[in-house]
Amino acid sequence: MSVEVRPKLIGARIKRVEDPRLLTGQGSFVDDRQPARMLHVAFRRSDHSHARITNIEPSAAAKMPGVFGVFTAADMNLMAKPVRATSRSKDYHATEMHALAKDKVRYVGEPVVAVLAESRYLAEDALEAIDIEFDSLPTVIDPEEAMKSGAPLLHEEAGSNVLLTRQFARGDADGELLTAPVRVKGRFRFGRKTPLAIENRTYLAEYDAGRQALTLYSSTQVPGILRDALVDILDISSHQLRVVAPDVGGGFGGKSSLYPEEIVVCALAKRFGRPVKFVSDRLEDLATTSQGFDEILDAEMGFDKDGNILAYRAEVIGDVGAYSIYPWTAALEPVQVISFLPGPYKIPNYRGRVRAVATSKSPTGPYRGVGRPISTFVTERLIDMGARRLNMDPAELRLRNFVGPKEFPYKTCSGIVWDQSSFTECLERACKEIGYDAFLKEQAGARASGRWLGVGFASYAELTGIGSRISAAPGMPINTGTELSTVKIDSTGSVTAIFGIASHGQGLETTLAQVVADELGARMEDVRVIQGDSAAVAHSTGTYASRSAVLAGGAATLAAKAVREKIIRVSSHLLEAAPADIRVEHGTVFVTGTDRKMTFKELARAVYSEMGRVPLDIREDLEATKQYDPVFGTTTSATHVAIVEIDAKTFRVKVLRYQVVEDCGKMINPLIVDGQVHGGVAQGIGAALLEKIIYDDKGQLLTASLVDYLVPSAAEIPPMKVSHIETRSPSTVGGFRGMGEGGTIGAPGAIANAVSNALSHLGIEITELPITPEQLFRAVRQSTK
Amino acid sequence: MKPAAFEYAAPSSLQEATKILADYNGEAKILAGGQSLVPMLNFRLLKPQILVDINRIPNLDYIAEHNGGVRIGALTRHYALETSPVIAARFPVISEAMRHVAHLAIRNRGTLGGSLSHADPAAELALMAILLDARLTAASASGTRIIEAKDFFVGALSNALEESEILREVEFPGFPLFTGWGFEEFAQRLGDFAVAAAAATLTMSGARCTQCRIAVIGGETVVRAVNAEALLTSSSLDDKTITAAAKAAAQATPMNSDLRASSDLRAHLVEALTRRALEAAKHRALEKQQ
Repeated sequence: MSVEVRPKLIGARIKRVEDPRLLTGQGSFVDDRQPARMLHVAFRRSDHSHARITNIEPSAAAKMPGVFGVFTAADMNLMAKPVRATSRSKDYHATEMHALAKDKVRYVGEPVVAVLAESRYLAEDALEAIDIEFDSLPTVIDPEEAMKSGAPLLHEEAGSNVLLTRQFARGDADGELLTAPVRVKGRFRFGRKTPLAIENRTYLAEYDAGRQALTLYSSTQVPGILRDALVDILDISSHQLRVVAPDVGGGFGGKSSLYPEEIVVCALAKRFGRPVKFVSDRLEDLATTSQGFDEILDAEMGFDKDGNILAYRAEVIGDVGAYSIYPWTAALEPVQVISFLPGPYKIPNYRGRVRAVATSKSPTGPYRGVGRPISTFVTERLIDMGARRLNMDPAELRLRNFVGPKEFPYKTCSGIVWDQSSFTECLERACKEIGYDAFLKEQAGARASGRWLGVGFASYAELTGIGSRISAAPGMPINTGTELSTVKIDSTGSVTAIFGIASHGQGLETTLAQVVADELGARMEDVRVIQGDSAAVAHSTGTYASRSAVLAGGAATLAAKAVREKIIRVSSHLLEAAPADIRVEHGTVFVTGTDRKMTFKELARAVYSEMGRVPLDIREDLEATKQYDPVFGTTTSATHVAIVEIDAKTFRVKVLRYQVVEDCGKMINPLIVDGQVHGGVAQGIGAALLEKIIYDDKGQLLTASLVDYLVPSAAEIPPMKVSHIETRSPSTVGGFRGMGEGGTIGAPGAIANAVSNALSHLGIEITELPITPEQLFRAVRQSTK
Repeated sequence: MKPAAFEYAAPSSLQEATKILADYNGEAKILAGGQSLVPMLNFRLLKPQILVDINRIPNLDYIAEHNGGVRIGALTRHYALETSPVIAARFPVISEAMRHVAHLAIRNRGTLGGSLSHADPAAELALMAILLDARLTAASASGTRIIEAKDFFVGALSNALEESEILREVEFPGFPLFTGWGFEEFAQRLGDFAVAAAAATLTMSGARCTQCRIAVIGGETVVRAVNAEALLTSSSLDDKTITAAAKAAAQATPMNSDLRASSDLRAHLVEALTRRALEAAKHRALEKQQ
C-alpha cells in the first residue's frame, strides 16, 4: 500500500508556466489588442508646475486630419465625475482630481486636453496645434516651505498643504531621550523614485453599443478596484463594465492606482462607440506614473550603556505630490514609515509623527516596499551609528535588541503584531553565509593598502498578507483583506481555478496552480488559472502589498479542499468504497488497497453527462467558491548583508557580494521566491545608488528620460545569494507569508550601512539616498579638510 | 512620443545623397544607425523635412589598413570596430573604448560616422578621434575635403560639416613605435555616456617620453590637455611629473556641471582618470620596449 506523501507540488522549484508564452513573444498585453475601428487618444499635458488655466483654444487642432475630437475638463466633466480618495482618518484632507485638469494645473505632466484621432501620430500632431494660456502661480516644491502657514496652497479647499498628520507613541520617548547615555541622530532623506515597469501604462476601452457594455483592458494590478471605482465615476451599472488585466509587464505599485487616462478612454469609447486606446510613452511614464518614497526624517535613537534601546523618536515629512491618489490616499506611504520604524526591535519608548505634504509634483502612490524601505534605512542606520558610538559589533547590537524567538507574538510600539518569525535566526545565518568574521579581517588588510571595503546589515520585519482587520492604507473605505477563489472540474475533467488577483510578473499562474493541484489531487498540467478579470469573481482588489500568495493561495486551498470533499463523496458512491478509503492523486481517484480507480475525466462524465449514474439526491457539481481572510496578516522577516568597495579616487560604489536570508514561511515555489528576491534587491540597489526623480525649483522634471533617470542594469547588480528559513506562518492557511516586496525593503539600508562602514575611518555616516558620487566626493572632501 | 511627418529617401550612391542634402538646403537629416537621431525625432526635438537613409549606399562600411594606420568607412558599426582584429592590433585603445560605448543592441546599429557627426561631448569615439588626431573626410556634391579632428568638434552637438556634406571616412594615422596607451572612464552605469574620461598615448625612447597625447571628456567638447602633454614630453615620466600632468589635465577645459556631476567633481575625476590612464600608458610603453 502506498503511503500518501503530501504536499508534492507546494515547495517544488517548478519553472514558471507563463514563461514560454512571455519569452517567445506570445504574451497578450493590452497593446497587442488591435480591434477594428480603434481610435487613439493622446494628451496635451501641463508644462507648468502650478498655474491657472485661463484659456484653451482647441479649434485649430479639431480641424486637423484624422482628428475626431478635442476634449477639455468641461467636456469630460459631462461624462465622468471627479475622483476623491476618501479616508476615515482624522486630520486628513482628500483632494479632488478631474480626469482633465479643471481651472488649475498642479504638476508638470498633468493631462489638460485629450485628442482623439485615427492614429497616435495624428493625435500628437494635433496636440501641437492646441493653444493653452496659463497664468503662473507660485510653485510648491519644498515640502518644508509648503507646510508653513501662508505658503501658496495647491488645493485651496483643503485649507493647507498638509493633507494628513498622524502620530504613534508609546512611553515617553522625549523624556527618555533627554537622559539616555548614548544618543544618535540624523536628518535622513530618501529620494523620490519611479516604479519604471518595463511595460508603460496602457489602456484600451471597447464599447459594445448593442449590449451597452464597456470593457476596459488595462495594464493594471487592480482590476477589481478599477471596476468598482469606474462604475461610480462613469455612472453606469456594474454589469456594464468589465475590467481585464491581461499579461502585464510589471507594476511595482505604479499600476495599482486609478489613473485619469483610464477614465478618459472609457468615457470616449462609450461616447463614440469605438475602441479607444492610450499607450503611455516613457516620457509620460516618468512624468505621471505614481512616484514613491520622497521623505525627510529627523530621527533620534537612545541606548543605555550596554546597548539596549531606550527610546526612538522620528519626525517624518512625506512629500506626496499634487494629489492624494485613489484609492490609497496620500497617507499610505508616510504612515507606513512611522508604523514600521520600530522594525524587529523592542523599543520601550517611541514617538513617530508624520505630516504628508502636497507639492506641485507628480502624485506619489504605492511603490514596492511602501514606507518600509525608508523605515528600514533609517532604523538600520541608527543602529549602526549606535554600534559605532557604543563600540559594539553592529550584528551583536541587533541581536541584543531584537524581539527574541520566544517573545512572539509581539505587539510593537506602533501597534503592529509580529507573529512567530525569525529575526534572530535570519541575522545569525546571514553572518555565517557571508563569512562575516573572515570579511572583517579582509577589510582591515584592504584598508591598510588603501582599499575601502565595507559590510552592512539590514534586518527588517514586514506585515504581509494583511486581512480585513487592517486596511492596506489607513482609513481607506475599501476592503483589501479578502480574496475569492472558485475551483471547478468541468464536464471534461479539466480543472479551472478562478481568481480576481492580477499577476503582473509574480508567476501566480504557476504558484496558484501548484496549490490547487496539491489540495485537489490534480496534475499541475490539468489546472488552468484564470485571473486578472473583474468579471471572474464577485469581489477582488488585485495584486499588491505582498498579498496574493497568502490571500489567493489561502482561498485556493479552501476552495480546492471543498471540491476534493465533493470528489470523495461522489466517488465513494461510484466506486462503492468508504470515504476514508478514497485517495485523490494526480487527477485520479483510487480506492486504497484495491485496483479500483477513476480518472477526473471519467468522474466528470459520470457526474455531469451520464445521467443516472449519480442519484439526484446526492448529485453535486464539482465546484466551490471560497473567500479567505487572514484577518490580521503575517510577518515576514529577513536580514540582508551587502559587501561594497568604494573607489577612493572616483567614488564609484561597487556591490561585491550580497546575501539575503529570509523567512517567508512555507514556500510554494522556491524558484519564484528567489526570483522575486533578486528583482526586489535590484530595485533596492537602484534606490540606494542610482535612482532619483529630480524636479527643479520651477517644478520642471529634470529626469524625464532614461538617460537622466538611472536604473540599474544587469552590469550594476552583483551576484546574490538567497537563503531561506522556512517557519510556517501560524496565522495563515497553508503557512504562507508574503514576500514580493522584501528585496526592496532591505537593500537600501544594507548598502547605506556598507558604504558608511567602508568610510568609517573618515567618520562619514550616510544619511541620504541615493548615494551619488557627488555626495561621496563632498563628504570625503569635507572630512579630510 | 511619435515623430512629426517627414519624407524619406534611400539613395544608393553618395552622389545621390549629397544632391538631396543640397536640394533640401538644411532641412534634411542623415539616417545612419539612428541611435541618437530617432529618439530626437520621437521627442520632436528635430523636425526635418526629409530623412536621407544612407544604409543602402555601398562601400561605406570598411576597416582598411593604410600607411600603418587605418581608414574606416563612416557606416562602420560600433560592433565591427569593437571586434575588429585590425583595430585590436593597431589601435587597442579604440577596442577598449568601444566596450564603453552604450550597449550591445546600440553597438549593433550605431555607426562611427553617426557618433562623430552627432558630436556628443561625452562620446568615447569623439575622445578617440581627438586623441589619435583623426582625419575626417567630408563629401558633398562638389567633392571631398579633409577635416582634422581638432577642427571637427565645434561645440556640444555641433560639428564643422556643411549642411550639404556627409562624413564618409575617418582615418586614424598610425601609432608610432613604442607607444603605450591608457583609457579610463567614469560613468555610474556601464554603457552610459561618460561623466568624465581620459585617454592617453605615451611614446617612449629609452626612459624618456618623446610624444604624449592626452584627451579628456568633461567639458563642452572633448579636448586635448596640451599643457599636461607639454609637461610630460621629454620627461622621464616620473611620479611627480605624472601627478602634475594629471592636475594640468583637469584644467584643460572648463568642466560641465549637470545632474550627474558638478564641475568640481568632474575636475577631480579627470585628474584621477588621467593619472590612471598615464600610468597604464607608461606601463604598456615600457613593456613594448622590452
